[in-house]
Parts: sequence; structure tokens; C-alpha cells
Amino acid sequence: MSEAAAAAAEYRSSHRRWAFLAAALIIAVLPYVLTGSYWHTNLTVCAINVLLALGLDFILGYAGQLNLGQSAFYGLGAYVSTLLITKFGFPFWGAFVAGVAFAGLSGVFLALFAVRLRGHYLAIASLGFAVIVHQILLNWISLTQGPLGIYAIPPPPAIALPGLPVISFRNPVALFYLIAGFALLVYFLLDQLVRSPIGETLTAIREDEISASSLGINATAWKVFAFGVGAAVGGAAGCFYAPFVGTLVPDAFFITESFTILSMVIVGGMGTLIGPVFGAILLTLLPELLRDIGDLRLVVYGVALTLVVLFMPGGLVQAWKLIRAKITGAPAASP
Amino acid sequence: MTATIVAQQAINGIVLGSLYVLVALGLTLIYGVLVQINFAHADFVTLGAFAAYFFIHLLGGNYLTSIAVALVVGAILGWAINLTIFAPLRHKGSELLPLIATIGVSTMMQNAMLAWFGPIPYAFETPYSQQVFRVAGMFFTAQSLIIIAVSAATIALLYAFMKFTFLGKALRAVAQDRETAGLMGINPSYLIMLTIVLSSALAGMAGAMLAPVLVLTPFAGTTVIVKAFAIVIIGGFGNVEGTILAGLLVGLIESFTTQYFDPGLIDIFVFALLLLMLAFRPTGLISERREENV
Repeated sequence: MSEAAAAAAEYRSSHRRWAFLAAALIIAVLPYVLTGSYWHTNLTVCAINVLLALGLDFILGYAGQLNLGQSAFYGLGAYVSTLLITKFGFPFWGAFVAGVAFAGLSGVFLALFAVRLRGHYLAIASLGFAVIVHQILLNWISLTQGPLGIYAIPPPPAIALPGLPVISFRNPVALFYLIAGFALLVYFLLDQLVRSPIGETLTAIREDEISASSLGINATAWKVFAFGVGAAVGGAAGCFYAPFVGTLVPDAFFITESFTILSMVIVGGMGTLIGPVFGAILLTLLPELLRDIGDLRLVVYGVALTLVVLFMPGGLVQAWKLIRAKITGAPAASP
Repeated sequence: MTATIVAQQAINGIVLGSLYVLVALGLTLIYGVLVQINFAHADFVTLGAFAAYFFIHLLGGNYLTSIAVALVVGAILGWAINLTIFAPLRHKGSELLPLIATIGVSTMMQNAMLAWFGPIPYAFETPYSQQVFRVAGMFFTAQSLIIIAVSAATIALLYAFMKFTFLGKALRAVAQDRETAGLMGINPSYLIMLTIVLSSALAGMAGAMLAPVLVLTPFAGTTVIVKAFAIVIIGGFGNVEGTILAGLLVGLIESFTTQYFDPGLIDIFVFALLLLMLAFRPTGLISERREENV
């Protein structure tokens, strides 16, 4: 590495450290800027959606696999963790680990089934997987109570640290901090991952699988790995969703949820980590701001997704780069 | 007695299956010429169903004419999606972007229909559902006879069109090799447009015939389309005969699962079959030599 490159990398990593600090600070002050239970609910929904979008982006944006089954991993995380708590008396964090692991492993299972498939076949296979999971949740009534749903799911247990007041997650602000903090942690870990040689390997497979294989990269193994990681992150979102909402019904994990998550990733800018974060926040809050137009507000997901694909395939990230290039007068870097 | 039940369920399965064939054929035709999936195909089915419903209930039209109305609505939607999505994105050469864009169109249409028509199911009744014939212990409604007759005639016409007319041959030429077909004086853009219009017309028409069978809500098409996806893969993408076979098979799975197991298991069985096919025989029921773009 040349000295200039080393300096640039040093600059970027210190830049990153400040960015993470700033993000943590923003998360800390947000519930005090946007007060009231309405906003606290919205903020927590944003945090859950950020997790979902990050998980899908890792599979779609980095490994290049169009996964339409993210709603299934989300639902599996939610149901597995909740059932372990309510039926088998697991502690919350034990159930959390089990839910994440189960979602991750089912991602690996689907990938093993589907890695030979590319593009459209994978899209439909993963959609089929999401349909099966939704139908199982709906029809395995002795376990999931089917469409009646599961009620009165307890919040995560309070944390009592010596010398500090007890943190109860019945408090919506504390629950927001927990979920947003976790999302920040996931962002940090994925950021490390995509900038490591593993990230470069995944990108190489996405860009040209044949060439990557000819360099000795085991494309199949890495695609399975990406599916496992992305599915586990989706599962974690489910583990938080259940105690946050307090009830679980199968229709929360219908296949249309996969399309909503897909919209967040694409609108934000797939293949970047920061894009889906803003995509998730934008598409969570925009329908709320449009409450005046009634049910028609949900059309924004479809409109945003279609327009972005047609005119700005790099999403918000590409738009931001174009704007910044306009302001500084520098030529826009390719997205 | 059991034989009668089996025969009865076989008929029910074929009635339903022939409607799935109409929907799935549209998907497979588009895939054949364009190697793309139109996700909004589902909503063309739904909108076809609603068009027929409103034609009957607001304009006082009769049911048979409403099938034609739904067909026209489907064709117009197909023309529109080609103009706005497939044609502009074709030159970007991305495999997944058009698919993602049509998912956007689908979400948009569903939520617009939800806002306008509401979530409460519409009762779509035709005068033909009440006319029941009894033959050898089995029941036929006039509705199911109409469905079989119209579907069979449509499929036969389509087949003849593809095999015997110049346009049909040109279409197959574009499906096989777009560039060479272009050199032979065939205009691929025009033929792709024609295919999408034709396919979408089938979807709209199927919607009008499915509406009395389905629970007619803005999401009605989604439940059909996921089965149609399974059908096109089980039948082999782009393969017309395979699609017809797989469509009837899925219809039969549905009717027999309802009879002997539980309707809740239908999708699980169909998609388990899909995943097994993908794992062990991804070329579909009837193999067709097709060059993969390596």
C-alpha cells in the first residue's frame, strides 16, 4: 500500500469512528427531540426496519442474490423466540439467540436448496419459501394459534446494573435504545465484514461468478454464507418485533412484507450499507407523514420503488452523490 | 362412491387448473421472449376481476361480455407496463431491475386498489353458478363448463397462433434468438410488446373467470400468482406444453388436498413440489434444450 493510500485509509477509518459516534449520539437524543408515544413507536419501527433492510442488503446488494423471502426469516425469528419464551420458559436472551440462529440456519437451508439457481429462479424459490413459512405459521394452530395469534408477549427483562437505576424495557424509550443500539452494532459488524476480504470476495461473485470461480473462489459457499448472515439479521429483527408489538399474527409476515423490505433497500441504494438505513427510515416515516391522504399513502412504497429503479437505480446514495457533485462542481463518481 | 368423489375432485381440479394455466401461460410467454418476470401479472388478474365485477354491477352488463371486458382491461395494462417498465429497462441489460420494478408496480396497484375498493371481499356471483347439472353422480355447474370451454378454446387458439401464423412463428423466432430474428426483418420491440399485451389479456380474462371462485379482494391475484410461479417453474420456464401440464397438476393437487387433507396445506404441498423440482429437475416437467447465459 502506498503512503498516500495508507493515509487515505487512516483518514477514512477515523472518519468512520466519528460517524459511528455521531450516529450513537443521534440515537441517544432522538427520543427527546421526537417525544410522545406516537413518535417513540415510529422510531422503534424505524430501527426494526433498518435491521431488516440491512439483512436483505447483505444478501441482495453484496452477494447479488435476489431474496424475496426476507419476510420468512423475520417471521421465523419472531415466532421461534416467542414460542421458546411463552411455551418453553426460555429467558429472553436465550430465546433471542435461538431465534437468530434458527432464522440464520433456515437461510442456509434455503440457500443450499437454491444456490444452483440464479436470478429469477432464486427469486421465485425464495418467494416460495416465504409462502410455505407463512402457511405453516397460519396452519400449525396447535403451536402458533394460527390466525388468532399470540398475545401478551412480555418485554425483555429489566437490566439491573450495580450503582445504576434499573432499566426496564416496559419503558418505550429504553426499548428503542435497545433495538437501535443493536441495529448500530449490526451496522458496525457488517461494515467491518464488507470492507474485509470477505466483502471483496462477495462483490467479485456478484459481478462475475464465473471469473470469481476461476480464481479459486468457492462461490457456492460464500453465497450460502451471505444468506445465513442476512437471514440471521432478519431473524433478530423478528425477535425484537415480538416483544415490541406484544402480539404476533402470521399476516405480519406475509410475502408483501418482503416487498416492503426490498423497497427500502432499493430506494436507499443497494450494495451500500448507509443507503438501506436511510431507505428504511424514509419509507417508514413517509407513509406516516402522508396520513392525510388516507389508505392511498401505502402506494408510496410501490411508487418509490418503481421510480427509483427507472430513474435512479443507485437510490438515495446515488442522488446524494449527484447533489454533492453539483455543489462541489466535481464530476460525479459512478454509483 | 369413492370413485365418484375422485372423479368429482378431478373435474374440480381441472376447472381450477385451466384457470391457473391461463395465468401461468402469460408469465411463461413473457419469459420466453423477454427472459423477464412480470410481477404485476397478479394485479392484472385482480383488476380483470374487478373490471368484470363493475361491468356487471355498475353497468348492468352480462357475465359473458364481462370476460371480454376483463380481457381488454388486461391487454391495456400489458401495453402500459411494457411502455413504462419493460421497454425503457430493456436496454440497461440488467437481469433483476425489471423484475424489481414490476414488484413496485404490483405494490402500487395493490395498495391503490385497497384504497379504492377496500379490504372487504366482493361477492361475485354469476347466474351460471346456480345452474347445476348432475351426470353419473357428479355435479357440474354451468360456470365450470364455461370456464373449461373458454380456457380450452383460448389455449387452442393460442397454440394455433404460435404454431401456424407468421406472427406466431416470428414470436418463437424472437424467443430463440432476438438478434438473428431482428436481422430477418422481424421487429423484436413490436413482438415483445405484442407478447406482453397478449399475456396480460390472458391474465385479465382469467381474473373474470376466477373472481366467482376466489375471495375477491385487492390481494386476490397474489394468491393466484404465487401458484402460477410454481406452475411455470414446475412446467419449465418458457415451455408452453409443460406449463399446461403443470397448471392442471396444481389444480388437481388443490382439489384433492381439499378433499383428503386440509385446504391450509395446498400452498405447502405446491411449494414443496416447487422446491423439489428446483433441487432435482430445474428444467421442469418437459425438458427443453435452452442455452443458459453463462
